[in-house]
Amino acid sequence: MRKKLSIVIVCMLLLSWVLAGCDSTSTKESKPSTQDGDKEKEAITIGFVPMTLNNEYFITMVNGAKQKAEELGIQLDVQAADQHASAAAQLTIVENMITSGVDGICIVPSSSEGLSTALKKCKEAGIPVINLDTKISQSILDEAGLEVAFYGTDNYAGAKSAGEFVVANIAKGVETAILTGIEGQQNAADRRNGFFDAAGSHVKVVAEQSANWEVDQGYTATQNILSANPNIGLIFASNDGMAIGALRAVEEAGKQDAINIIGFDAISEALNMVEAGDMYGTVAQYPAEMGILGVDNMVKMIKGQESESYIDTGAKLITSENVEEHKKYCEQFAD
Amino acid sequence: MNANAIQKDNKKKIDFQSLTLYIGAIAILIIFTVVSKLAGKNFLTFGNIQNVITQSSVIAVIAIGQSVVILTGGIDLSVGSIVGFVGILGGLLMKAGMPIGLVCVVLIIMGILIGMSNGALISYGKIPAFIVTLGSLQIIRGVTMVVNSGKPISGFPEGLRAIMNTKIMGMPISILYVFILYAIIMTIMKRTRLGRWIYAIGGNAKAAKLAGVKTRKIELYAYAMSGLFAAVGGILLLSRLSYADPNAGSGYELDAIAAVVIGGIAMSGGKGNIGNTLVGALILGMLKCGLQILNVPVYFQTIIIGLAIITAVFFDKAKERKAE
Repeated sequence: MRKKLSIVIVCMLLLSWVLAGCDSTSTKESKPSTQDGDKEKEAITIGFVPMTLNNEYFITMVNGAKQKAEELGIQLDVQAADQHASAAAQLTIVENMITSGVDGICIVPSSSEGLSTALKKCKEAGIPVINLDTKISQSILDEAGLEVAFYGTDNYAGAKSAGEFVVANIAKGVETAILTGIEGQQNAADRRNGFFDAAGSHVKVVAEQSANWEVDQGYTATQNILSANPNIGLIFASNDGMAIGALRAVEEAGKQDAINIIGFDAISEALNMVEAGDMYGTVAQYPAEMGILGVDNMVKMIKGQESESYIDTGAKLITSENVEEHKKYCEQFAD
Repeated sequence: MNANAIQKDNKKKIDFQSLTLYIGAIAILIIFTVVSKLAGKNFLTFGNIQNVITQSSVIAVIAIGQSVVILTGGIDLSVGSIVGFVGILGGLLMKAGMPIGLVCVVLIIMGILIGMSNGALISYGKIPAFIVTLGSLQIIRGVTMVVNSGKPISGFPEGLRAIMNTKIMGMPISILYVFILYAIIMTIMKRTRLGRWIYAIGGNAKAAKLAGVKTRKIELYAYAMSGLFAAVGGILLLSRLSYADPNAGSGYELDAIAAVVIGGIAMSGGKGNIGNTLVGALILGMLKCGLQILNVPVYFQTIIIGLAIITAVFFDKAKERKAE
């Protein structure tokens, strides 16, 4: 009986192999015929890989990209890892996109160094890549021997603008807490350092803790920080999720009048809080622009036209003064 | 009932189970091929089948150890963390100049040791497997973070990449690894006393003990095997990415368990064919790949895969219900 089973398995494998063989030859035959052009050049398909799709920032980016794709009349394949942003999941996605025959890939890497194999495969397949939001480190690009355009924000500069605003508007020597992102991530370090370099000598940093970008961890970290440092007057959270968590803890402690909270990312919830006066400010990046520019330039690249190799999409501190204007801008890219 | 009788009893059921499983796998293959053709895309291509196998290989290898443990009636939740730990440790050793072959040996020994400490706590310490490995899942992930302060490692020699990215006669080498490893484990499970005892423990631990099986020792071996295969999976992933990520492998324990369960091994232990775990892993890989090619939004993918797991077990149990 076992033998029968193994025969079945072997047959199945052989069958799939044969079928696969047939298919690969048939696609080879069919490809040139479409190129010969009943449909005058096949439609361009671009693969779009955000880090995840469970956060508004990347959803906005994808919506920007989708709008541009529609405008240009091209196909957009959007795929992301389910919950965790992981290098392995992104490699799988890129492999599948290559075999499904995309013409180019726009990607936000899960980490600056994780894509080396994926990039090599793109290079082998001759598929151009544009890097959005989180920069792929130069050593990885050199290793893959691939030139990749980057469109994104300088996190350091964005955080610095928040720090400069604090220097200009908040009294010197205020006790400050910093909530940082996941330790070891480049953008976590950039945001922390940007703020610190601008405001570090103006404010008095009494606590600094990682809350791993999470709302709940921002909440508990802030609770602990507040019980240890009751005189805190300013909290800089490296993303809005942690800022929202911090706000809950501050409200619970009844200190919302005494403590200013600054976040980063300008997600809609945070903008509402800035508008309501609960949050002092949040640093806006322009993810939709990254999506739009990515698609636009990728199409140019595929068509052999000139495209940009670096674009700083900018960052801006949103406070009660300009929040309304920014919300209006964001509405175009909401779901 | 002695060990042989349990085995014999299994044989009959396994055939029905295997048949539904293969039909399911082929059905998925056909459905994806047809649907992607209709959508103007190709699923069943040579390149794509290579993709599915390469992408499934890490989970398929981890699932070997998981199958063994589940056959004893246990579970190993720590395998994903072992994958991450092995990656970072291997990265550090290679950066320190240790040759790749030696690094692999060290990592495999490390995996066995971790598995043995799980096994010792479970069999001699009498702590439930779920709890021991839930604890070690956290401990090992924590240690992984501490060892390199949460930072990833990259920039490895080309030799590392070659472990996983070489082709033999146009086919990815991962196929070879998977088939050799499965051939070995299937021989152990069928031809050796160890294999029969593992089934016996899962079938009825008390009866096995009365029949003279050294249940504790066998359990220890089972977890050691799980650690070993998790470490091999970790090496394959490290080579595939050429990048050591401290978060690598998180959630893999669930994928491995899913592969085992789809393959028809009972969570209560003692029943099932370990070779079918490979089919389970390939079904999972096929689903992920196919849904991505069809450009199904990611959260629908997870819904469909979840439904597939439940459906697979439902059909399994349907046979049992009928038999009753």
